[in-house]
Amino acid sequence: MDLSPPVQFDLHRRMVRIRVFEEAAGRLAEANKLPGFLHLYVGEEAVAAGVCAALNDDDHITSTHRGHGHLVAKGGDFNRMMAELMGKSTGMCKGKGGSMHISDLSLGMLGANGIVGAGSPIAVGAAFANKYRGRGQVAVAFFGDGATNIGAFHEAANMACALHLPIVFACENNEYGEFTPRSATMAITDIVDRAAGYGMPGVIIDGMDVVAVHEATLEAVARARAGGGPSLIEAKTYRFYNHHGIQNLGLKYRPDDEVAQWKERDPIFTFEDRMIENGTMTRDRVDEIWAGLRGEIEVAIKFAEDSPLPTPDQILVDVYTSMTGAAQ
Amino acid sequence: MSTVGIIVNPNAGKDIRRLVTPATHTSDVTKIGIVRRAIVAAAESGAKRILLVPDTHNLAQRAAEGIDAPVEVLDEPVSGSRHETIGAARRFRAEQAGAVIVLGGDGTSRDVAVGWPDAPLIAISTGTNNVFPTAIDGTSAGAAAAFVARGIVPLAVVGHRSKKVVVHIDDRGVVHEDLALIDLAFIDAMFVGARAIWDPLTVRAVVAAVATPASTGLSSIAGRIHPVGRFEPGGVFVRLGPGDRQVRVPLAPGAFTTMHIAEVRPLADGETITMSGQCVLAFDGERERPVSADATVTAHIESTGPLVIDVEHALILAARDRIFDATNHHLTKDSHGS
Repeated sequence: MDLSPPVQFDLHRRMVRIRVFEEAAGRLAEANKLPGFLHLYVGEEAVAAGVCAALNDDDHITSTHRGHGHLVAKGGDFNRMMAELMGKSTGMCKGKGGSMHISDLSLGMLGANGIVGAGSPIAVGAAFANKYRGRGQVAVAFFGDGATNIGAFHEAANMACALHLPIVFACENNEYGEFTPRSATMAITDIVDRAAGYGMPGVIIDGMDVVAVHEATLEAVARARAGGGPSLIEAKTYRFYNHHGIQNLGLKYRPDDEVAQWKERDPIFTFEDRMIENGTMTRDRVDEIWAGLRGEIEVAIKFAEDSPLPTPDQILVDVYTSMTGAAQ
Repeated sequence: MSTVGIIVNPNAGKDIRRLVTPATHTSDVTKIGIVRRAIVAAAESGAKRILLVPDTHNLAQRAAEGIDAPVEVLDEPVSGSRHETIGAARRFRAEQAGAVIVLGGDGTSRDVAVGWPDAPLIAISTGTNNVFPTAIDGTSAGAAAAFVARGIVPLAVVGHRSKKVVVHIDDRGVVHEDLALIDLAFIDAMFVGARAIWDPLTVRAVVAAVATPASTGLSSIAGRIHPVGRFEPGGVFVRLGPGDRQVRVPLAPGAFTTMHIAEVRPLADGETITMSGQCVLAFDGERERPVSADATVTAHIESTGPLVIDVEHALILAARDRIFDATNHHLTKDSHGS
């Protein structure tokens, strides 16, 4: 039940990597240095870190429009991620995916997704393939509370349970679908109440507590890997910035005191305080970790800025499959 | 004074144990149904005021919606924390409620005891390892609560004084007083994490006010060695570790494990146990409070818990007094003016 210091350090590092990447991306977007929309994961770091630290490199995840955090937590390379956000040819998807389609198949990250709810069926496909191949791999579908109002989620959950697939549904319930509070779009409060309807167990955990997320995911993944079938983890969490960007055009849809209360439970700072009290970490070491990762981000920004844009002759390359090498 | 208060914990019955054991999931709809049945039954049984407090999940409002009953959802702050239950118990005491129905697990009843130590209580189980609350339908609970609140059935006859574990923590000069209704456990952990306890190797010691083999969870460890009933004085201390005895225990519903018993010590009321060392303290089965290596924790058992209403006994007495006869039922309805 309790975590060894190396696991604690790993969880912490994954969270800080997400935070420094997202804050840098936010600053670049505000300076008009990034094309397209940007949905920042700041505040929700405990979920991606706690889940991905329970996975092997060859386990699969599917992500959302707020997807950088999932890729960073799965081990995504800062340089190639930052280049992708800038649309550069050195990016994860050679600059053609951008923020909302960022992916890295080598890490089992099957893609962020601009369509709410669209990631879950892809994860079910991966889980089906994993079961069929029998290699013991597990798939995790990340999705938000709003996605559970979308038909694709229900079809995915139903099929996963009907076929008893090795999958974990990881719901990031941040209480808002874009600018709309959850209470305006569903009659239930806990997404987990839906799990029983498909025939899988569901649990609620504190999504601001990386240890809680990690404990639950270890159990859910072990269950899936052992042939126990799907499960749903609902992490109660919150995005500190707005739906997209940092300021979000100044749109006002959340009470200031609500935002402030959630920020008091910052998943990184509270975890650092706990580790320091436990004697597994020092404040100086915490500062070193932040400084080191911020240094890596500066290198990544320079790498991305110095990288070339894709050339026009590449416009159709990697966009449509040639079916070469694919099963017919 | 024919006021009944109802508290429902929206968070009970949904934690990680659904993943690691075959524990029951208790949905919002299930909880609303229980509360609704309790409201109807309390009104049917003559309660003049049925009080609820708002909660994060709007369970109280939804349960009260459209019912022809003297039900009020009071104006109380919604925090999403245990302070909702503590505050509700305080408010019900101030409103002179004659009985309180609470839906949740052991922890929810504990919160009621914090807010109102002498609460006349009917605890309905919607949690996981429930020892304090029992599986009883809202219909029976609502009727018994109303009869006790109206004084038709004397609380002195059907109410039984429960126990509590009184806890004193001195952690580097910071003193904290706390309580548990069933058990206090010392967990070998640094983090509260997912709160529940399902790993037997982390349980260092348990102070149990109630130790019954007819339960699951920490209380059942002691219950399978040295049973102590919920209304008899004293309790038992169990220290886990290498020893002569090993016991099979359902540490969570449907999940058995072998626990190694190092020490078993019966405790008289007021007899103090002192523990030290870094751990996380678990109150009524949930990891809650990390303490440092310098902390000293003392605990003793007292018979000063809430008054637990025996629902079946209350309804049997009502039946013997012909309270359910239709002629008396009309009198009952007149008495609350509906």
